Amino acid sequence: MNETEILKKENKKEALSSLKKNGKAEKSKPGRGRYKKGDGVSALLFLSPTLVVFATFILFPVIFSFYLSFQKWNMFSSQTTFVGLDNYIRMFKSEEFWQVLKNTAVYTFGTIPLNMGFSLLVAYALNKKIIGKKFLRTAFFAPVIVSPVAAAVIWRWLYDPNFGLINWFIGLFGINPVNWLNDPTAAMFALIIMGVWKTFGYNMVLFSAGLQGIPETYYEAAMIDGASGWTRFWKITIPLLSPTTFFIMVMSMIGSFQVFDIVYVLTSGGPLGSTKVLVFYVYEHAFKYFDMGYASAVAYVLFAILFIFTMLQIKYMKSKVLGN
Amino acid sequence: MKAALKKIVFITIISLLFFSCGNNKQQSNGKVTVVFWHSFVSSTVPALNELIARFEREHPNIEIKAQYVPTGDALIQKLVTAIQSKSAPDISWIHSDFMEDLVKADAIYKIKDFSEGKNGISKEDMADIYPSLIQYASWRGTLYSLPMEATNLALLYNKDMFKKAGLDPNHPPKDWNELHEYAKKLTLDTNGDGKNDQTGMFLPIYPAAGPLSAWMVWQWLPYLWQAGGEVINDQQTKVLYNDAAGVEALKLWQDMYNELSLSTFTSDYDVAFASRHLAMAMDGPWNLPRYNDILKNLNWAFAPLPAGPNKQATIVGGEYLAIFKQSKNPDAAWEFVKWMTKPEVQAFWAMKSGYLPIRHAVKNVPEFQEFLKKNPNFKVFVDQMEVGIAQKSIDYGGLQITRHIAEAIEKATVGKMDVKRALDESANKSNQLLSSYSKK
Repeated sequence: MNETEILKKENKKEALSSLKKNGKAEKSKPGRGRYKKGDGVSALLFLSPTLVVFATFILFPVIFSFYLSFQKWNMFSSQTTFVGLDNYIRMFKSEEFWQVLKNTAVYTFGTIPLNMGFSLLVAYALNKKIIGKKFLRTAFFAPVIVSPVAAAVIWRWLYDPNFGLINWFIGLFGINPVNWLNDPTAAMFALIIMGVWKTFGYNMVLFSAGLQGIPETYYEAAMIDGASGWTRFWKITIPLLSPTTFFIMVMSMIGSFQVFDIVYVLTSGGPLGSTKVLVFYVYEHAFKYFDMGYASAVAYVLFAILFIFTMLQIKYMKSKVLGN
Repeated sequence: MKAALKKIVFITIISLLFFSCGNNKQQSNGKVTVVFWHSFVSSTVPALNELIARFEREHPNIEIKAQYVPTGDALIQKLVTAIQSKSAPDISWIHSDFMEDLVKADAIYKIKDFSEGKNGISKEDMADIYPSLIQYASWRGTLYSLPMEATNLALLYNKDMFKKAGLDPNHPPKDWNELHEYAKKLTLDTNGDGKNDQTGMFLPIYPAAGPLSAWMVWQWLPYLWQAGGEVINDQQTKVLYNDAAGVEALKLWQDMYNELSLSTFTSDYDVAFASRHLAMAMDGPWNLPRYNDILKNLNWAFAPLPAGPNKQATIVGGEYLAIFKQSKNPDAAWEFVKWMTKPEVQAFWAMKSGYLPIRHAVKNVPEFQEFLKKNPNFKVFVDQMEVGIAQKSIDYGGLQITRHIAEAIEKATVGKMDVKRALDESANKSNQLLSSYSKK
């Protein structure tokens, strides 16, 4: 990075901070708002398309499914029956629910470290000046936007026990062929690998943005002081990247707990229910058995789990990563 | 600025108006329109169009509007939405698994509301329809739909492979022992790399809990019946699939699954059959038109399913038409459903579509007799209708019980569990479910 670029950055920072000040200044003058009478109406009007869509497709279903979690409803009849906490009790008594919860946890805690480690590695490597950087970035991001159905076709072939590329490859090292999708233990592993492949590109972009936000001057100063590459990475990159890392961690946790599409297309929850995850379980009860009340109750338990996890993360990690 | 605002308000109002417009279009030319939802595959659609054209020629005042809906889950999900929004079709394909819900929601008519009326069906005609189909079209003894066509399962086999293995190509396996023995003989590892290059028999065991498991159960049930078993008792209070017959049937599958290394058989069976990697598989008549086309270079045939220790049996399925109470023209809808059961219409439809006729009398239609002579494979299916058994419709929790059976099959094969234990575990779950219904 040359001096002009640094200057630009400095200017930007100044501009940003002055913006913030202005914002504060305006807020601190109550009674003299910038709004005129009637502005509220036109603001609402402008927002109305979004609000209508939001209310119809998000707000209403969220509230309605909470209501449904205390009801019995098969979607065919126009009436629902109040059953109190019956759906929740049935869920906590069901062996399958706990199995499904365990599967989801295994998937989540299997995916996140791999995903984050890999995406950071790739983002770091691509942050250097190398040939074909843009092409590589696009290539690594491509799985994110590829349709999961198309991807599953490819992965099924890769995982094929007889002709699959993966078994051929591990065979080169003398490892016996694995029946990836038809073995309860291997199937979850296969799912995790595909899950990482499918989502790490997104995190890589976030990490790249985070890495570009770290001023080169720190590295230059460290280099003058004789810090090694590893020390620079460990003492400069990692701490300064921590807000990004935190964000990615929270989002990955939510995303992994909600995994559905790749499960649906790759294993449909099998074999022997070993890859059945929570959202798939919800889907099965809602749209296979038409047990809407039960499905809603499971969905709300999923919400509660995610809410608690996110809150814990914010409570214990936010102060560490954001300093002040 | 103000003009722009006005424009936006205008556009918003217009678009809201569009949203609120329903589909209350009325037919203006005096014809009555009957909307018919189906899931026929695209290769059957030309035949369907011919069928509808024939109906409309004979009934100039009725117009049939056939609408394609993707099969199974998608169809039922669409029906649910349609019923809630009061836009259900006049006629739809329905599946027996959903009969309970449809009846409880008071969404469909009883057939006797029409069949015993002025424009009814005679008792003799009703009795001519295969009883297995009638059983499947009913819920708790009441008929709620009528079959449009029938299907069943037969054994598809490659004659050349039989010859090569030293078996008589005109003598397909006729009982379980032969099936088991032939399947082993036809499984070959020609290049000695430890992987089978030819598989003797395909069993539809999917490592999946999803929509495919019902198909797995569907193919297993004939074995249960062949061994003399039943899914559920007559009072529907207890499942019976874990008794001796069930154990015997599942043991056969488990043995074949292990001996033929079916856990590594991952390709689609029809592709494997076409590319000479598979010798035998169970399959239905709906694939005949396609096979006549893609298997031209293969020496293949259909045979009846091998008989079990108890009897010969196959599973019968079909598509059933129900008339919805939201229909504005139920009588016109009935006219179509009734017309569909006529022998000459059934013969016409069977010859065009490749589906099986729903009643005995069709065999007396001369063109149909000619057709059977020319199509021996099709005849196998038609003859099998006589030994066909329909999956007994389970009054409550049928879907879950099907799922339980699928779990047992999966546990015994993929999971290598003891057959009796796998079946008992599932049966316990099913019985618990049944007792929870009977308490209510």
